[in-house]
This record gives sequence, C-alpha cells and structure tokens, in this order.
Amino acid sequence: MASRIEILNDGGFRSDGRRQYELRDITIDLSQQGHADGSAIITHGLTQVLVSVFGPREAKQRRETIHDRANINVEVNIAAFSTGERRKRSRGDKRISELASTIKSTFEPVILTSIYPRSQIDIFVQVLQQDGGLLQACINCTTLALANAGIPLLDFVCAITGGVHSTSPVLDLTTLEENDIPHVTVAMMPRTGKVTLVTMETRLHADRFEEIFRLAIDAGKVIHKEMKSAVRHRTDALVTAMGSGSRFAVSGEMAEEQMKDY
Amino acid sequence: MIAFVSFPVPSVNTEAYAVARHHLDVEEDALMDLDDEVEASGSNLKLTCPGESLTSAQAFMRGHGTYVDNEEVISSLAGTVERVNKLVTVKAIRTRYNPEVGDLVVGRITEVQPRRWKVDANSRQDAVLMLSSVNLPGGVQRRKLESDELQMRNFFEEGDLLVAEVQAFFSDGAMSLHTRSLKYGKLRNGQLVTIPPILVRRLKSHFISLPCGVDLILGLNGYIWVSKHVKESEQEGEEGFDAEAVYSNRNDEIDSATRIAISRVTNIIRVLAAHFVPLTDVLLLESYEWAIEQEGEPMDLLHDDVGEALVHAITRG
Amino acid sequence: MRPPSPSIPEREFLLKALEQSLRLDGRAPLQSRTPTLTFGPELGWVECALGKTRVLAYVSAKIVKPTPERPFEGTITIHSEISPMASREYEVGRPSDEEVTITRMLDKVLRRSDAVDKESLCILAGERVWALRLTIHCLADAGNMLDCACLAGVVALKHFRRPEVEVIGDEVIVHAPTERAPVPLSIHHSPFCFTFAFFAPSPSSQSVPITILDPVHLEQRLSNGSISIALNAQREICVLQKLGGVPLGAEEVVGVVQVAVGKAKEMERLVESALKEDWEGRKGGVEVR
Repeated sequence: MASRIEILNDGGFRSDGRRQYELRDITIDLSQQGHADGSAIITHGLTQVLVSVFGPREAKQRRETIHDRANINVEVNIAAFSTGERRKRSRGDKRISELASTIKSTFEPVILTSIYPRSQIDIFVQVLQQDGGLLQACINCTTLALANAGIPLLDFVCAITGGVHSTSPVLDLTTLEENDIPHVTVAMMPRTGKVTLVTMETRLHADRFEEIFRLAIDAGKVIHKEMKSAVRHRTDALVTAMGSGSRFAVSGEMAEEQMKDY
Repeated sequence: MIAFVSFPVPSVNTEAYAVARHHLDVEEDALMDLDDEVEASGSNLKLTCPGESLTSAQAFMRGHGTYVDNEEVISSLAGTVERVNKLVTVKAIRTRYNPEVGDLVVGRITEVQPRRWKVDANSRQDAVLMLSSVNLPGGVQRRKLESDELQMRNFFEEGDLLVAEVQAFFSDGAMSLHTRSLKYGKLRNGQLVTIPPILVRRLKSHFISLPCGVDLILGLNGYIWVSKHVKESEQEGEEGFDAEAVYSNRNDEIDSATRIAISRVTNIIRVLAAHFVPLTDVLLLESYEWAIEQEGEPMDLLHDDVGEALVHAITRG
Repeated sequence: MRPPSPSIPEREFLLKALEQSLRLDGRAPLQSRTPTLTFGPELGWVECALGKTRVLAYVSAKIVKPTPERPFEGTITIHSEISPMASREYEVGRPSDEEVTITRMLDKVLRRSDAVDKESLCILAGERVWALRLTIHCLADAGNMLDCACLAGVVALKHFRRPEVEVIGDEVIVHAPTERAPVPLSIHHSPFCFTFAFFAPSPSSQSVPITILDPVHLEQRLSNGSISIALNAQREICVLQKLGGVPLGAEEVVGVVQVAVGKAKEMERLVESALKEDWEGRKGGVEVR
C-alpha cells in the first residue's frame, strides 16, 4: 500500500484540498429530461450520473411481469469518455451487470412495488463522468429520479463512500484515493438509520471497518439533507408554477358559459 | 464532526423549476432550518418528501401515498399533503395517470387481442378496450358477431388513436375503457400533444372548441388531441353526421389556415406544459390571442424567450 | 424460464420454525454446516462439500511471459463455471444476476484480496512468471454455493505445489516433482467467506430481523436479503457485501461481523488440520514440503 501521492498530509489536507471529513460539492438537477417520468442528474465533485425513470408502465415482455408487485429493471451504461482512459465497455461487462444488479436489489425493498402489480419500472443509469464514488452517485441519483417520478418510496436511500488512510478515516473518496486506500460504500435510510447496502472490496481490519462504517452512516444524513432540500424545492417550484394559472381555474366554469357564445 | 461545504454556482437558468439547487432565490431558503415545514410559496399547501413523518397513526387514517410504520403515518411520495377529516393522503406532483371511473382519456392502440384491444393511456398498465364496449358502424346497438371478431383491425389497429371513457378499473390498477357514445371513437384530422396528467384539470366538458376553428380533447391522462373543428351540423346525431366515417382512416380536407391554427394551439400547450401551468379553456384562449397579437409563426412560440413572455403575459395579465 | 417459487406451505412452515429459532435441518441459527474437504490425487485438486452443495476446485500453473505493465508479477485467473448441472436455476447463455454475483465475489475474495503473493510467482523479471489458473466447477447447488466455492478455491491454492525452478543466468530450469520436492505458493492470508441470510420480522412485531448463517437452498430463496463477509483469521475483512435486501441497523451489521470473526478462526483450524491429514497420507509417495 505504498502510495506515491499523499492521501492526507501533515496539515490534515487531502490531495484535492479537502479536510478528512469534508464531502465534495453536490449539485442536483431535477429538471425534466426528454420523455422520462422522472429524471435526475447528481454531481459529486467530478463524478456525474444521470438517471431516467420510466414507469410504472406495461412490461415490455410479458414473461417479466410479476403477479403481485412491480418488476424493476435497471440498465447501466458507462460513457466511454467518463474516465481519463477512453474505453468502451460492452453491455455484457461483468462489472456493469454487477452494478445494475446492486442498484436493483438496493431499491427492490425500498420501492413500494406491491402497489403496482404486473407493471414494470425501468431505471436507466447513465454515467457521464467518473471520479470515485460511482456506486454512491448511482444510488443517490436513482433515489432522486424515483422521487421525481412520483414513485412511492419507503424513504430516501443515501449512499456515501468512506476510506481509511492508515488509522484516519476519510469520506467521499476520489478515484485517486480509491485506488490507494481501502474503501467502503454504505447506503442508508435516514429515517430509521438502517443500512440497505454495504460493500467493501479491500482488506481492512474489523475494528477499523466498524469505525468507518459508523462514520459513513452519519455522513449519509448530511447527504440526505441535500437531497431532501433539492426535492423540496423542485416540488415547491412546480406547485408555485401550477398556482400561477389558478386565476383561470377559478373562473373556468364561468368561462364555459361564455364559450357557448362563440 | 462532519464538515460540509458546497460552493454555490450562480445560476444562469431562469426557469425556476429547472435547477433545484444553487438557484439564486433558493439559496437563501437553503440556509434556513430545513427541518421546518416549508410552506409552498404563494399557497398554503404543505409539502412533503418520502420518509417524512406526517402524523400519528392512532389519530389519523393513512391514504394514498403514505404508509404506517411504528404507529406513525409516513409519506412515501414527494408532493402535497391533503387531509380530509381523518384521512391523510399525499399527492405526487409528477406521476403517471391514476384512473377514475368516468374519466375521459385519449389513448393509443398497442395490441389487438382476441375480443379486446390493449390501449396505452399513460397509466401504469395498458388499458383494455373490449370489443363489446365499442360502437360498431351501421346500427348503433347490435349484437357483436363472429365476423366482427375477425375484422377487429378494421375498427382499430395498432397505432390508432382514440378517445374513450374509463369504464372500470381493477384492483391491480389495470383499467377498462368504453367508446359507447358517438362522441368517442377514433381520432382524425389533428395531432397529439402529451403533457403531465396533473396539468389537465377536471372540467365540465373535456371537448373544447376554440373560436379559431380548432377542437380540443383534453384527456385526463395528459394526452391532448388538437384537431380541425367539426361543424355543428356534422356532429354526431345531426343530419350531416356520417356514421360510416367513424372508423375511417382518411383525413378530411384541412385548409392551411386551420393547419396553422392547430400547430399554434399545439405549441401553446407545449409551452404551458413546459412551464407547468395547468390548462384551462380560458387560458388557452388568452394565450392564443396573445400569440396572434405577436404576429409570429407558430414555430416562434417554441423559442425560450417567446415562451416565457407568453407565460408571463397570461399569468400576470 | 423463471423457476417456480417455493410453495406457500413450504414458506409458512420455514418462517414459523425460524420464529422459534428452529431450522429445517436442525441447525442453530448461527451454526454452519461443517465442510468436508476431499483431496484428489493431484496437488491442488480439492472437492469441497457443504451439506449437499459440492464444488470442485483445481489449480494448475504454467510459465508465461509477464505483461509489460507488471513485469515482476505472476498472474492468477479464475475460471468459474456454473452449469445447469448444479441446479435448474442456472441456464446456459446469459448469466443470471446470481451467477454474476458469485463470479465477481470469487474474483474479489481470491484474487483482489491479494491472498497469493503475486511477486513470488516471478521467475525472471520481465521474462518468465508463473500463471496460475484456478478452475472452479460447481457440481451441485443446495444453497450457499458462494461460501463453498470460496473455501474450495482457498484450500486448492493452499494445497497446490508448483515445481521448483532454478535460474542460472538467463536460463530457467524446471525440476520435475520426482527430482526435487515441489514448493508451496507463498500465501499472505487465507480469506474465508461467510454468508448470512436475513428474514424480515413480521410487520406486527417490532423485533430485529432473524439472522441465520450458511443458508440452505430453500432458506436462500425465501430470505429477504443476505450479507457475505470474507475475512481471515487475523480479523481482517477482505470483502463485505450486502447488496440491498432488508435494511439492517448498524449494530446488526457489526454483530454479524463479530460472528464471522469467530467463525473464520474455527475455519482456519479446520482447514489446517485437513491439509495436515492429507500430507500425512501422502508420505511415501512424492515428497512434499
């Protein structure tokens, strides 16, 4: 684990100038994208993901319908230009299908699928830029897109990566940091504080794991605040826009009488 | 313990709804305590998000868009909270069409099956239109014969648009339609616009005739049919009504003035929907007048600045 | 075709029993099936059985030229084959989500956790390195195939001996096993994988989910989520994976990790004694170290 770059320097700064527990800038765009029922773009620093949700709608293939709940279908596409090294990944790539099945199993217990029997909910994930925290961005973005599409959810799902540099935990890793230190991705549901997803792929002592795991759960709450305010303001903006036409809605009936004259 | 810094980027986008975060006037609100209940500006509607506790389950009943956990009623949607006596419901702003019996919808045939058609009506599942719930050409009321079953594609085939009424819906959310009125049936002489279903308000009549020679059918599922005006004398039941033309696939003659009027109305609807303004007949009429005053081509309406000017003019005016 | 889901009476019976901490095969909730390790005639040939689940692992090595990016490192490739022979749930052709998970998990546990010292596989820098090939055949799936496959893979790597090589100048001499005793791989640590399945409590009771270790097939199908932890006896977690499923509290996750820590130590002892026993039996034949 000898690294050429300094993950955490003596002054307590990371390679991109952040502090140990500092998260990257988050931007959320919930505007309408094409014909999707709900879509979202989330940016965690230099990682950017776009998710479009379609449905609940009639399943494309009848064999995929489930008689008592909705079927969730996740497709992940990683743009060839999303990393420094331009590389086209085929659709059958193991890493991509693992990512898709991870997203699917994360959201299956969170979406109230039993409300929509025999329907299908399609989630299309497009990774636009990658700089660490890919799974984190995909999960957060999917939550936002689902909320935006008016699909009932038990709660938000907020994901965050954490890593451990020798003994000091750091949050929200970049690719540079992910390559060098053990990292954990945790997705939690803020209302109950329970975790739906934990993954770790590098060797880490059990005690260290516990420390970063608990820290990540706390950090999830911060992400939740951001996501919630974004959804709130989007809802508020839509409600306000709808209210602006209300002058006419009230007079609607009267107007109908006038219409007859034409 | 956790430091969190976000660097607000000054927004260049003027559409208030497009960017949820880092919008200039939103930034101030973001600094306020977010745990407080945010009241929608300009209205007294209470907003909520998934996972937010609304009230205790002992005193209230849970309605749509909520679930009960730990004796609390919790929202499962992002939208507005509505309360009727003890029933708490949450209504999502953007969602697919939820059918109700008697609703007028515009749909598109997706599949022809034995004795039924499948109709896409922007709902969670394709709707069913039974052969027994359509009017057949010739006699208005007659028994369906086996020959009718065999020539179902002569009435509706895949891709046809139709206007129908919701007859019933089942527990799994699927709905059945009927076209047993002369007002309903196949659509011709116009074009379709799709908007979010919430923007179509329930009106006394969803068949609207604008004075510019354009007829509108506002489907409650958000599908809107904009077509050439049908003369009073040729309407159903009147003398000039051609019963054989009900299932015709040929358009009538449409003069260019009407064509322009149709596209102008269509574009107005698109602009209003993009700005999330609910549609009403009066609103459309005023918008149309405004558009005529501007003396632009129908296509000009789709420019951002013209569209904004339109919305500004009719919502403030 | 999607295989039929377990019948309602089967499900009811299993869940009712679990509520009373009883499992269909008589185990305690956190008791795993004891693995049976059978070694083949060749070194690096292991068959691991966990109840009726059986996995065969075989290691072979050959000498290749290293990649220019990593001239000092040998390579390990894992070939896992889940054929329809193991269970009717597997199909030929496009792998199901479950198969992808198993394959990826094997890769993470056995290769990316750096269990084998890759630099020790180097013979002549930039010229000659050992390329290990680990083939995993899933013979029968009666639940928890992942743990069984990981165990088989780790034991096969520990059991394997490569021929001794000698470098004189630029020349590489490979000694036949009859000539010089083959040497074991240099193994940093041996990760063991443990899978826990969770059953969501009935909505009425406000209790925590029921946790069981080493689920059998039926339990796996009916569970509401699982967590797989790969760790070694030195309390180092190599892979931890909980992909969705029933949400767990932080304490439950930490608790499960603690259980796995204890199980890893037990497993290490079991594997060591099995390997030792096998060496005893091999004395008299080819000399091994």
